[in-house]
Amino acid sequence: MDDEKNCTGPLIIALQYNDLFDLDSMSASTNTDDALPKGRAVTFIKAVQIVNERLVEQKETESLLFEVILIAKECSEEIKMKIVESVKYYGLEIGKFFFCKKEELINTLQSNKVKLFLSTDRDDVCEALHTGIPAALLYDQCDDHVLKVIISGDSIGFTEDSLDSLSDFGFSETQIETFKAAKICMKEFAVLIGQMRRRFGRENSPLCICVLTAWGSTNVCASALKTLRGWGLDVDEAFCLAGAPCSPILAVVKPHILWDCGLHNMRDLATQS
Amino acid sequence: MSEIKPKEAAAADKKEAATEEKDWAAAKAHFENLKSTKPRPPKPIHAVTIAVSSRTLFDMVEERKIFVEEGVEKYVQYQQDHESEPLKPGPAFPFVKALMTVNERLRKLYPDSEELFDIVLMTNNHAQVGVRLMNSINHYDMTIERFCMTGGQSPIGYLKAYMTNLYLSKDSKKVQEAIEEGIAAATMFKPDVETQLSETQLRVAFDGDAVLFSDESEIIVKQHGLDTFFAHEKQHENKPLAQGPLKCFLEALGKLQKKFYAKNERLNCPIRTFLVTARSAASSGARVLKTLRSWGLEIDEALFLAGAPKGPLLLKIRPHIFFDDQMFHIEGAMEMGTIAAHVPYGIGQKYNKGKLIEAEKQQK
Repeated sequence: MDDEKNCTGPLIIALQYNDLFDLDSMSASTNTDDALPKGRAVTFIKAVQIVNERLVEQKETESLLFEVILIAKECSEEIKMKIVESVKYYGLEIGKFFFCKKEELINTLQSNKVKLFLSTDRDDVCEALHTGIPAALLYDQCDDHVLKVIISGDSIGFTEDSLDSLSDFGFSETQIETFKAAKICMKEFAVLIGQMRRRFGRENSPLCICVLTAWGSTNVCASALKTLRGWGLDVDEAFCLAGAPCSPILAVVKPHILWDCGLHNMRDLATQS
Repeated sequence: MSEIKPKEAAAADKKEAATEEKDWAAAKAHFENLKSTKPRPPKPIHAVTIAVSSRTLFDMVEERKIFVEEGVEKYVQYQQDHESEPLKPGPAFPFVKALMTVNERLRKLYPDSEELFDIVLMTNNHAQVGVRLMNSINHYDMTIERFCMTGGQSPIGYLKAYMTNLYLSKDSKKVQEAIEEGIAAATMFKPDVETQLSETQLRVAFDGDAVLFSDESEIIVKQHGLDTFFAHEKQHENKPLAQGPLKCFLEALGKLQKKFYAKNERLNCPIRTFLVTARSAASSGARVLKTLRSWGLEIDEALFLAGAPKGPLLLKIRPHIFFDDQMFHIEGAMEMGTIAAHVPYGIGQKYNKGKLIEAEKQQK
């Protein structure tokens, strides 16, 4: 398969500035000349930059690279300046900045052909998924030089009927709809990241893709693996839990990107350091 | 049953507990809707979790050769090309089948209980190989719904995450790491001859020193000889030995056995445990039995060999698995057709047939 023809990069990822910088830890005594304190997304961007470096090492004219854009809702002029300065200060490669109003978030994402919207805010993620924008959780990652992505095996491997039956077990209609929306959104991202992954070998890859099947049986996971393979994504690691708790596994894998299909009440990420 | 799982395994806070309940509910919903007759797996915190590697569950000798000689890319491609061909059974296969038989009996007696065996496939393999593994599992109609494919990473962190009670692998390095982390583990070996094993009863045989018990007494034998050992054991008859790496697994088996006894099924219990030790009953056996009693553990049959070879006796017992810390016992067992698992723990690792390994090397 000729990768050149399939490539439609760059892979644009959108972040929000409050995930990039930890504004809560700023106090009155913080020197206003200092850069903003680092937030969770900084490690993520560093990992993304490493992937880009490795891609360019292999092929100088590579067009399938990650591109990160930053969205800031409701900012004062002061903060806008601080954001741009801090980004420069930390050496973060951010392609574009968008300063907009709260209601304009979805439009901004859509008009910029964002392939993935990452946020620590589950509600933002759900809203984006509902409007058809691929969105995932920015998780509690580690500082490894490997960008880790976890894809939900349940949302890919489950059949329509199985999903509908979940309403008997306390999941709302909205949650089930979000779940279904996630599968459709995921495909484009999966195809691109699959191509990117194939630029590297099985070992020493700066990109690692995992499939996590939290509820489904072995067959659901097998179905997910085959579907992803059909989309061109060869997954590295797979976990099938059949109802066992997810958090211990997530604590070991420590992904940067976690596809939350909207049915999990993930641990309150805002309270994590 | 809470002593089976470490206390830290319980949910850290209420919110996490709520998430776990939701995950559990969704999984339950899914399994109940499946048209197959496969039972759903138990809640890990109440179950006895056994993690098996792909090479112990299935015979992957040929495939391993490709991996070693031609590299990982060719290996994964080979597995993908042969995806619909089921793999042949490996050394842990009869053991796993026996675990499933026990589960069936337990489900009949206690339909709502989560105190069952939970089998997890824990492998270093890449996820692409997973499809062939899953197809093979389905082919043999096995109830393995949980697995972890680490794509080359060490499985040790995941063993804890899956609340593993026992880990079986062909890779002695991983087994050693697991034991160092406090997880019962053993390296499995396929016997040279095949033996007919029971299909209705799980039979597990343990060596005593450095497996169920610590290696404290074994150190005395190796460093001071048998006479000192006998004197020492008699003197300390009433002092319980310290625990060894597989004590907790015996304990877990005991808990499940008691469930059968409670329903008047002692004579028909599908789990039977054996102690096969080189100790002799008269001089050093009492301490062992008293130690077990002090731990509140029962072992069904205790066989004291007083140094006689274990192979022929194991042939009579026909266990689904035999745990020992010394390789020459393992080799002896394999020669006669017993499925043996090496526990790399204690001073026995530095010796071969009673002689210090380093000294042997010097002599050569």
